[in-house]
Order: sequence, then C-alpha cells, then structure tokens
Amino acid sequence: MLELRDVRHEYDGRVVLHLERFAVPPGAAIAVVGPNGSGKSTLLRLLALLERPTQGRVLLDGAVVTSRGAARRRVTLVEQRPILFRATVRENLEFGLQVRGIRRTEVNRRIQDVAARFGITPLLGRRRHELSDGEVQRVAVARALAVEPDVLLLDEPASSADRAAALTLYRALAEERVRRPMAVCLASHQLEDAYRWADDVRALADGRLSPVTPENLFRVELMPAESGDLKHACVGAVEIAAMTDRTGPAILAVPPTDIFVSREPLASSARNTFQGRVTGLARRGPGAVHVTADVGVELIAVVTEEAVRDLALAPGSPVVFSFKASAVRVF
Amino acid sequence: MDFLAEGFRRALALLFSGDAEVYGIALLTLKIGVISTVLACGLGIPLGFVLATRGFWGRRAALTVVNTALAFPTVVLGLLLYGLLSRRGPLGAVGWLYTWQAIALGDVLLALPIAAALAAAAVQGVDPRIRRTAETLGAGRWRSAWSVAREARFALAAVITTAFGHVVAEIGSAMTVGGNIRGQTRTLTTAVALYTSQGDFGLALALGLILLLLALLVNVALQALQGRGRA
Repeated sequence: MLELRDVRHEYDGRVVLHLERFAVPPGAAIAVVGPNGSGKSTLLRLLALLERPTQGRVLLDGAVVTSRGAARRRVTLVEQRPILFRATVRENLEFGLQVRGIRRTEVNRRIQDVAARFGITPLLGRRRHELSDGEVQRVAVARALAVEPDVLLLDEPASSADRAAALTLYRALAEERVRRPMAVCLASHQLEDAYRWADDVRALADGRLSPVTPENLFRVELMPAESGDLKHACVGAVEIAAMTDRTGPAILAVPPTDIFVSREPLASSARNTFQGRVTGLARRGPGAVHVTADVGVELIAVVTEEAVRDLALAPGSPVVFSFKASAVRVF
Repeated sequence: MDFLAEGFRRALALLFSGDAEVYGIALLTLKIGVISTVLACGLGIPLGFVLATRGFWGRRAALTVVNTALAFPTVVLGLLLYGLLSRRGPLGAVGWLYTWQAIALGDVLLALPIAAALAAAAVQGVDPRIRRTAETLGAGRWRSAWSVAREARFALAAVITTAFGHVVAEIGSAMTVGGNIRGQTRTLTTAVALYTSQGDFGLALALGLILLLLALLVNVALQALQGRGRA
C-alpha cells in the first residue's frame, strides 16, 4: 500500500536514510526498531509525506505520490513527542474531521466513540496544559485514529507513558485493528514492545535496514587493535570484542542464537563473557525462549525451553552470557 | 513645575469640555491609525508568514531588507513620499499630497516592515510540530498556516498593537506629507508639536494625554481578545 523505493534522504549533506525498499502492506503491523539516531523518525516522516526524500519515490497503492495533500488524508503520523493544538481536547479531536469537511453529527459521533475507546472522555473539556505527558500521548493517538487513516504511523508511542499506560495503548491499538482494517507502522527502541505487538519487526541501523535480527544492535566506536583484527568497543558498562578489520564508528550486532547461556562462567574460547541477572523471559515461537539479561548492558539470547528449565532461569537469577568475537557482526 | 500643573489642569478641562477641535484631531488620528494598521498588518503579517515558513531564493536577503526597514527614519520616509506625491512627482496625479490619505500611506509604509518582521519572529517561535501535526491530520496549506497563526495569536496581537502604536505616534512623515492643516490633516502628534512650539502647553498636553488614552484603549481591547483565547 505505502512504499518507499530507492530512497536516500540527507540533512545538510549527511545521509540519514538509505533504503532500497520499505513497504507497508495493507493491514500490516510493523515495528521498526533501532537505537536513537538510526533514522526511525525520518523514515516515519517520509512515509507520512511530511518530508520529500532527497532522492527516491514514495508510492501509495502502487502509484507515485504526486499530491501529498490528498495522500496525507490516508496516512497519519503521531510523533514521538506529540503536540496538541492550543485548544481543548475535543477541539483537537475535531481538527482532522473538520478539515475533511465531515458533518457535525458524524464528528460528534466519532469523537465520543474514540474518546470512549481511549478512556479520554473525562478529558474532552481540558486544554493541553492541563494534561500529563501520558494523557497528551493518548489524546494524540486518539486524534490520529479519529480520522480513520489507512496507515497509522507511530513514533515511540509509549515513550511518555508508564508501563501500564503503554500496555493500555497497545491493547487499544490492537482493538482498533480488529475494529477496522488499518496498517500500523511504529518505531520503537524497545524490542519487547515490538515483539509483543508487531507481526513484522524490522531493524534500522544508521539509516539502513539491518541485515540481521534487531536484537543486540549497538552503535559503537571500534578502537584500533594493537595487532590483528580483534577490536574492542565499549557498550554500556562492558567492552565487547569483535573480529573485524574496521575501526571507528560502526554498528555491532550480536545474534541472540550465538550467545551461550550458563549459570557459571565457562572455560571456553569465547572472548566475550559477561555476568549479570535475568531481567525477562519471553516465549518466541515453538520451544524458543528469549532470555533478556542485564550484564552491564541489556543483551538478549535465544535458548530452548529445556535450557530454561535445566538452568532454572527466572527473572532475577544470576546468569552468564558468552559469545565468540567472530560471532559479532560489524556493519 | 507650576506650568506643568497648569498644563494638566488645562488638559483635563479640554478633555471634559468636549472641545470640537480636540476631538476632531483625535478622531482623525484614530481613523488614520486604524486604516493604516489594518492595511500594514493585512499585508505585513502574511509577508512575515511567508518569510518565516517558506524556503525560497533570496529569503535571507528579504528578511534583511525587512529588518533594516524597521529603522527607516520617518522623516526620510516622509521626504521620499513627498517627492513621489508632489505635483511633479510620479504619483502627483493622484493628488494626495497634504491629505489624510498621504499620512495613511506613510504610516502603512512605516508599519509594514514592523508587522512583517515581528510576524516572522512570532511564526518562527511556534513549535514546528504544530504545522506537521496539522498537515498529517489532513490540513492543506492554508489550514496548516491558520493553525500556526492560531498558535501564535498572542504574539500576532502584539504585532498589531506595536504597529498601531507606531502609526499613531509617528510625526515626521505626517508633518511632511500631511502639512498639519487645521481641520484636515492635523493629527495628535503634529498638533502636539505645533501647540508646544506656540507655547500652548495645556492644549499640547491634552492632546498628548488623548494619544496615550488611544494607545491604552487599543491595548486593553487586544488584551481582552487574548484573554478569551486561553492557552
């Protein structure tokens, strides 16, 4: 439905996004993950037709978008830190409906409906300075949904919300997709949210779609090696060893399937061994469990359910993550 | 100090006596002030909007011109306008020299860069997310611009106040192209200058007080409007 093709986008001559193809099919639930500055927000602004790509095309229903104004009526973006107009919540919800020339009775019906679904009915008479950040976020999502877009783009929709509010928001979005067909593409730096909610998780690193899975991606500065290609990079509180001929800025990816999980440090050839505690366990697919641990930095490993049982892994339990320097992908 | 107190007493007496000449001068000043403010803001605010929001070749130069025009001496403006409107000037056929229209034209030219520069600053001060939000919710160019203007309405009201303040207080151009003709082109500022030079301090002070009163009334009216549109 909505697609970027051969897109290259620059700010002041610096390439911030470079994608051969990024498609949002009808009804899709896509999560774009990646570290801050990876190009997620730029990607969403291009998809939302708020910016023209320096090079490349934006297609809607297979045709190159020529009238951005008309296309924008089908694609709506909620920014990471959304802003409400200097008006009441009700007037904010009315805005998109009024510019579409929708009749007053229908406007009122839709506002009551969307306000009830997002639990913001008591806020309708309030103005923006009377709302918390989380409430502003909810109102902004409701405002975007009130216009019933074909594609909803959300930039870090849970960034201003606490955990419970974030879950409420994701639940409401899921219900919304059941209610009416709509593609949703959200950017998040939280993998947990992405996996919980999306059917399709894509990783963005330095403006490009990552060739590896989105877990354990880090932007680093590779220090020059004293000899050979074994380089080190500081990630959080740990130093990761990687085999590469590169130095300087790079993206490191540690494939979750290449991480050995144990309760005690192993005598092995692995150059990377980190001790920490399990912070989360999540079942992913048949027999596979994602183990998230804080080992000085948050890392995710994939193990079998049997391994979880054998190692008695539970949130809070001590754990050791090991992986070889040659397992670390550098790009 | 006696003459000052005497001046005030005279001023109050004139104000409350309903002196036809005093009120005639005040009404003419108000008429010229309102018309030239409406015209200057009607042209200057959209111009400021374009300068603040549109990227085009020469935009920076245009902003520099507008900002420089803020400091244009009103006497020089009056002189140039006099050259244009005088019988042998390119606009002499219009026959506006020594009319209130000439004063209004001068005031528009004076207030236009003020309105444009301050409006540009006001619009640039609006969070860019407002325009993006309006656009992503389906608003076209004009509706998006209106959303930005609504957001900047307090600052834009200040633009109108400032423009009005400048045009009613202006004297250089009004004196040159208006001629300070009694009953025709005598405004509050030119009258104050005239009566002061004639030593009629009480009358000059009375007119000065009316000038202040006018400025106060416009400010109060705009503040009342702003009060309605809360944050």
